[in-house]
Order: sequence, then structure tokens, then C-alpha cells
Amino acid sequence: MPVFVEDPAKFSKSRLKSDLVAHNVSLPSAESKKEVYVQLYLKHVNQKNAADFSSDEEDHEQDAIDKEEHAKDPQMLDLADLTDDDLKAMLLKHGVKAGPIVGSTRALYERKLKKLLEPDAQHKPNGTGDGALYSDSEEEEEDREEEEEEELDSEQVRQERAAQLEEAQQEISQAELCLQNGDYVYPQCFLMSSRLRACASRHWEPRPKRNAGNVVELSSEWSRSQCSQIPIELSRTSSLDEPTGLGSRVPPVSQSDIIHVPTSSSSRTFSITQMVEEMESQSLLSSSTDRERELNGSIVEEHWSRANRLDMLKRDKCTMKNQSLYYTPKASPYELAVKLTQEPVTDIPQEILPDSEPTPTGIHVTRRRPIKGAAGRPIQYKYPDTPVSPMTRERQEVERRLVPIYIQILVFLIVACLLYLIYAYVEDNSFNPFVALLDSLNQESGSEEGHLLQAETQDTPVLDTLTGQE
Amino acid sequence: MSSTSQKHKDFVAEPMGEKSVMALAGIGDVLGKRLEEKGFDKAYVVLGQFLVLKKDEELFRDWLKDTCGANAKQQGDCYGCLREWCDSFL
Repeated sequence: MPVFVEDPAKFSKSRLKSDLVAHNVSLPSAESKKEVYVQLYLKHVNQKNAADFSSDEEDHEQDAIDKEEHAKDPQMLDLADLTDDDLKAMLLKHGVKAGPIVGSTRALYERKLKKLLEPDAQHKPNGTGDGALYSDSEEEEEDREEEEEEELDSEQVRQERAAQLEEAQQEISQAELCLQNGDYVYPQCFLMSSRLRACASRHWEPRPKRNAGNVVELSSEWSRSQCSQIPIELSRTSSLDEPTGLGSRVPPVSQSDIIHVPTSSSSRTFSITQMVEEMESQSLLSSSTDRERELNGSIVEEHWSRANRLDMLKRDKCTMKNQSLYYTPKASPYELAVKLTQEPVTDIPQEILPDSEPTPTGIHVTRRRPIKGAAGRPIQYKYPDTPVSPMTRERQEVERRLVPIYIQILVFLIVACLLYLIYAYVEDNSFNPFVALLDSLNQESGSEEGHLLQAETQDTPVLDTLTGQE
Repeated sequence: MSSTSQKHKDFVAEPMGEKSVMALAGIGDVLGKRLEEKGFDKAYVVLGQFLVLKKDEELFRDWLKDTCGANAKQQGDCYGCLREWCDSFL
């Protein structure tokens, strides 16, 4: 974060005002001098900057809103450093045509720009702190997940070793899982066991050769085929039932290995191979799990795939949780058992956001993200629409009202031709008809008189000659 | 908003003149007081802010929320009333 070195006394009054507004400080009355603003600025803004470095010291005057902004303060400062023109240019770069940026509007535009910048920033894994604030899920489940994750990390070594044992004890684990899947392990999933079995049988058909039996059959026939296991399993389930049965946890260490290894390895495989495919479509789920099953060659995968399917349903119900935090490990056998069902839930964040970088805790997402818009993507679509707000819409409206250009040209040509014709007609005929008419009239009258005169003059000589002859 | 309030109709019916900020639809006594404290004592001052934000709904709503803590309905009422006033008198 850039250290704030500028002297607030050098700021312009409007700048001070806008900064104060940006930090939610109520402005003094309009007539107050610049010193008042500077004092306020020093008091509120710079104190807050100092508080950024030591996160524990919180000013009393800063209310909840300030605290909310506290996390985003670096960005706020960057924005506050911008000049009005820069701010406007940046807004334009993000497709927002800003109006005048003045003291009363600057804060709004800063916030808008921040909002525009946020979708980019959200790809960074920085939202983990807020995750707990917004999660409305229960503490209990969180704890389970935390411990589950911790358990997974700590047992990495043991898992590898136990993976070899797994083959030998596959029969037992089969039976255990059947017991767990069918009857016991899903206390908080509101699914009928019949539905579970339907999923299982659907999944079971393309199974590798080793697992010839059906899970359903196994779970139903389990009591017959593996009668010898009953006492052990019963004791184990009873110990799982009791949260305080810590003593019974020691003998099932190998059992817990058997159970944990496949699920955790499946989760690891899941995060690598399946993450993208899950994003593609949910229908690929079965095929990918089949492939995964081949990879691991373990029947216990079945448990996982079913648990995963359950998690899909759970996601629909919005009861799943995307985040988990490390707290104090407090393992109880009951929670161990629940972890088995909850285990794949931790990979859902990666399902939803395959492009997010992995974090040490494996936490990327807050619960808010899917609600706001699936994986944050629609937020991107939202902003190209925004610039179309007032001006462009007006322009589009005007364009819509305009007549197409070829019609315009056509009309222009028609009008031009008409005008020319009128002009030509007027030029040719305007006077001429009348003048010619007048002229012809004059000529006609003149010639008639001439004829009369000529006739008279012709008559008199004739008379003269007649009289002369007489 | 299916129908407009009486306050809205009254405000839109005539030039705002020197009307108080509380004449704006969606701005009651409480919000009016807050606005007056911030210097927006007349309706035309709010109109000025409305215009300087280029009649942008989002920004104006934001501003109104910041300035006086108006809720969504109050923001919408005030925005609609100012916009309609502008349509007829600007």
C-alpha cells in the first residue's frame, strides 16, 4: 500500500471535501474555511491510514461502515489519489461515461469505479476473511470440516502406507462402507436410503471386475455373507454414535485409515481430474467417477461418488458450505464419521471456480459468490450493459427514428427533379404564352386595320377611275 | 411502481419554484431533515445534484442513500419524481 505522504494542507478545498466524503466524514457547513476541512482530513483520513498498518487499533469514531471499508482501503486510497480527469478516464476505460466530476459527485464515481474494479480483484483469493462473516451455516459443520481437512493433511503419510493395506482389507472396508452409506452415515442428509441405493445401483454397473457384487446387495446381504464382522462393526458404529467414545477410537486407527485414505485420495484426484469436468456438465459425473474408480481401483470410491452426488443435492439446498477455517483440532469419533460424508464438500469451491488459485487453506470462495451470480461471471456481463444507459440509448432512439439513408436520397432526388421541372416549365412558358398571345392579338388587329385601309385606298382609286371614266 | 403518489403528482404538476426538499416524493420529514443538514434545503438543490449526475438512476440512488439513508422505495420515488419533472419542465 502506498504510504500517504502528501500534505493535506496543499489540497484544494474541493479535493479535501471529496476525500472527506469518500471516508464517510460528514462535511462541515458550506461556509467553513479550508482549515476546518484540513483539520477534519487530518483527523479522519490520516488516522485511518495509520490504522491500516496496525489492524488491531480501531478508532472509536469509526463506525461499522468505516470498518467495512477498512479492508478495501488500499484501493480507496489509490482512487482518492486520482485527479478528476484521471478518474473520468478510468471510468471511460471501464465503459462508463461519467458526468462532471465535482465535489458532490466524486465519491459516487469513485465508488462506481471501485465496483467496476472489484470483479477483477475478486479472482484473487482475498475473500477468506469475509467468508465467516457472511456464512449462515452452522458452526458445528464448520468445525467438522476444519478437522477433516486437518486430519487429511496430517495423515498424508499414513494414508500412503495404509493404501497398501487397503487391498487386503477391502472386504472389510466394503462392508463398512455399505453399512455407513446405507444406514448410518448420513444423519443430516434428508435422503431416503432407497434413493441412495438407486444412485448406487446406477453407478455400479460399469464397475471394475474386482467388485462383482452390488453394493445394494452387499448392504442387504452383508449380515449373511460376513456374519463374523458383525460384532466388530456394531461396536464400531456404537462408538461412532457416542461423541465421547474416545477410547474406542484407538483400536479403529487402521479402520480410520482405510476409510480416510480412499476418500482423501479421491478428493485429491477429484481436484485434478474432475474439477473441470464438473464444470462442463453434471452429467459427466458418472463417467468421470468411473474413470477415477479405475485409477484408484478401490471400491471405496463408490462411497465417494455417492457422497459427491449427495453433495450436489446438498448444494441445491444451499446447505453446503464453501469455506472452512482452521481452528483448534478437537476430534471426536462422531465427527470423524461425519467427516466422511462431508469430505467432498471441500472441493466444491474448486468445482465452482476452477480458475481460482489454490490457497494454503484451500479456501477461495465465500458463500455470497454463487448467489450474486454464478461464479462471478455474470457480473462481467453486467457492465457492458451499463454504458448503454442514458446517452447511447438516446442516440439509438434517434437512430431508430431516422429514415434509412437510401430513402432520404430518393426523396431528395425526386424533390430535385420536381423543382427542376417546375423551373424549366416556368422559364419556358411563363411569359411566352401571354406575350405571344398579346403579340398575336396586336398583330391580328393591326393587320385587319391595314387591310381595311388598303381596301379603302383601293376602293377610292377605283371610284376615281370610275368617275374619271364617266 | 404501478401508481404514483399524490405527492408525486403534486410535485410534477408545476414548476418547483422554491419548494422545500420535503416536497419531493419519497422524501419525508426524516430524510428531509437529513438533507437539510447537508445543505440540500430546497428541492432545486436536489435537482441540481440529479442533473449533475446526468439523470443517472443508479448514481442518484446511490447518492441519495449516502446522503440521507433513503431506502430503495424512497430512492425510486424521488428519482421518478425528479425525472418526470425534468421531462415536463426542462
